[in-house]
Amino acid sequence: MDFVVPTVDLGSIAPALLVLATALLVLVGELFTAPGRKGALAVLALLGVAGAMAKSFLLWGQSQAAFSGMVALDNYGLFFGLIFLIALGMTVLLSVRYLGQMDMDHGEYYVLLLLAVFGMMLMASGTDLIVIFLGLEILSLALYVLAGFARTDLGAQEAALKYFLLGAFSSGFLLYGAALTYAATGTTNLARIVSFLAQAGVAGNPLLWIAVGLLIVGFGFKVATVPFQMWVPDVYQGAPTPVTAFMSVGAKAAGFAGFLRVFLYAFPALSVDWTWLLAALAVLTMTLGNVVAIAQGDIKRMLAYSSIAHAGYLLVAMASNSQAGVSAVLFYMVAYAFTNLGAFAVVVYLARQGQEALELSDYAGLGSRAPLVALAMTIFMVSLAGVPPTAGFVAKFYLFGAAVEAGLVWLAVVSVLNSVISAYYYLRLIVIMYMREPVPEAAPASTAPLVSVSLAIAATATLLLGLFPSALLALAQSTVGAIFKI
Amino acid sequence: MAETVTYGAFFLLSAVVLISALAVVLLRNVLHSALALIATFFAVAGIYVLLEAEFLAAVQVLIYVGAVAVLMLFAIMLTQRIVDRGARVTNEQVLLAALVALALFAAVLAPVAWNAAWNVSQEPVIPEAIRELGLQLVTTYALPFEVAAVLLLVALVGAIIMARET
Repeated sequence: MDFVVPTVDLGSIAPALLVLATALLVLVGELFTAPGRKGALAVLALLGVAGAMAKSFLLWGQSQAAFSGMVALDNYGLFFGLIFLIALGMTVLLSVRYLGQMDMDHGEYYVLLLLAVFGMMLMASGTDLIVIFLGLEILSLALYVLAGFARTDLGAQEAALKYFLLGAFSSGFLLYGAALTYAATGTTNLARIVSFLAQAGVAGNPLLWIAVGLLIVGFGFKVATVPFQMWVPDVYQGAPTPVTAFMSVGAKAAGFAGFLRVFLYAFPALSVDWTWLLAALAVLTMTLGNVVAIAQGDIKRMLAYSSIAHAGYLLVAMASNSQAGVSAVLFYMVAYAFTNLGAFAVVVYLARQGQEALELSDYAGLGSRAPLVALAMTIFMVSLAGVPPTAGFVAKFYLFGAAVEAGLVWLAVVSVLNSVISAYYYLRLIVIMYMREPVPEAAPASTAPLVSVSLAIAATATLLLGLFPSALLALAQSTVGAIFKI
Repeated sequence: MAETVTYGAFFLLSAVVLISALAVVLLRNVLHSALALIATFFAVAGIYVLLEAEFLAAVQVLIYVGAVAVLMLFAIMLTQRIVDRGARVTNEQVLLAALVALALFAAVLAPVAWNAAWNVSQEPVIPEAIRELGLQLVTTYALPFEVAAVLLLVALVGAIIMARET
């Protein structure tokens, strides 16, 4: 029998496996923890996060393909993996008190979060369309359920159903794009797609154009670009707030991880066709996100539209299709992760038993009621708007710099104009917090040590990245070798 | 002769696929739609057989007819008063939906119409295709194979959460 046992190199996907093992442990642990004492599972989940982070740092710098070219161990995948782990760790910190307040303290919550991160890590390190798709499906399925985790809440049900239907629909596009890619190139492996296209050329093959178009639609849904953004506000509003925070950072980062690797690595031969398309999508996405965000009175909806706008900024860097663009996306993703998680942490911090502070007017007078929280929120809003000395400013600086370098000056100008529009609604929240009298019945929020910890981490990171960006930028720059073979 | 039979079978099966798929969308009784869907699945399996993809045909029957369709029927039967109530199959967006569907259809059909460069393998069909598939699944595609198990786990955990008593 001509059966050759393949080399199994579990070490190359060790961080993802650690997350998976933690998920299984938490799943079993759920059986042995009494109701109301699920916080122990959160500790277990955090230990898993710490372990996976440590392992990622140990693996840093290695570069090899594994599992017959299905995944790659490289800095690019590890960098994104660390972003997912940061998002997961912060989300767990935000969730412990919130789950109790909203009466949905079940251990499966942590299981699904961990499994979603497993899917994200596969997506970021996958070098085969099949693996990327499977990773995407794992993370999507977990998020559909998490969005509807508040089973009795009508808004959560709407969010889950809408997310599920549109998500499944968009997965279909992605899959069809992958199938047509296979039809045109005879392989789903990214490296072999590259060598096929280099050899056979792409001239006049409509299959590939349609494949690329369908892939853009599929990824566009996942990272929420216009015109595939319509699910975002309702889902972000209806989902439990920590889940929204996790989605807005983790799912977006995972989507871009796959998007970047597939397009910049596997389809550079077609870049003439897709760069202008992405540039056009970027303009639409930024503008719609920012303009509609102005009209929102609900903070979760406002942050939802803001996250759409940020997807637009990231597309700007993708459209520049350069090494500077890739490292700018990675830096931006980290800055955005800390800032956005921090902003949602403030929303979670202000939540009371069975009730949340979601209206912008709920934030009136926060500056005098809870000065430190208001200060943190100010930092996050300033960073989202892209004002120095915060991470958001440096991130946007690199992003637009990459666009200018790639000759897309007009795109950089549009992006800067958009940042100006966005400053209106970000700064408006600061004005509400400091200049308006508090509503009399607003009860003081109960203490939340874990949420405070995550707030402190996010605020410190946002400031530090704004003041000393070079170390992280160097890390981001060391990942581009995975995309552009030097 | 053999070719005529193949062509005849292909057109017959295609007709069944198209008609039954239309019936799925247009019938007002959801139970009838589900039954028409089973007919669609069977006819697609027949087309796979014509393409000498016997394994795919078997999977199509086992999974789509055997599991997916039966599950749908269960869901319909267990839902109260859904069978005897005729559902509206269109709403005010029907024109827009039809346009989008047509555009997608055109996009999918375009490569065929333009005579695209399909990457057709020159090698003959492997006689032991199922054996080869099995080997590939545990060698080259071992990782996706295992990861699919995790996907099922997520689906399972999610389904239990969604269905449990509150």
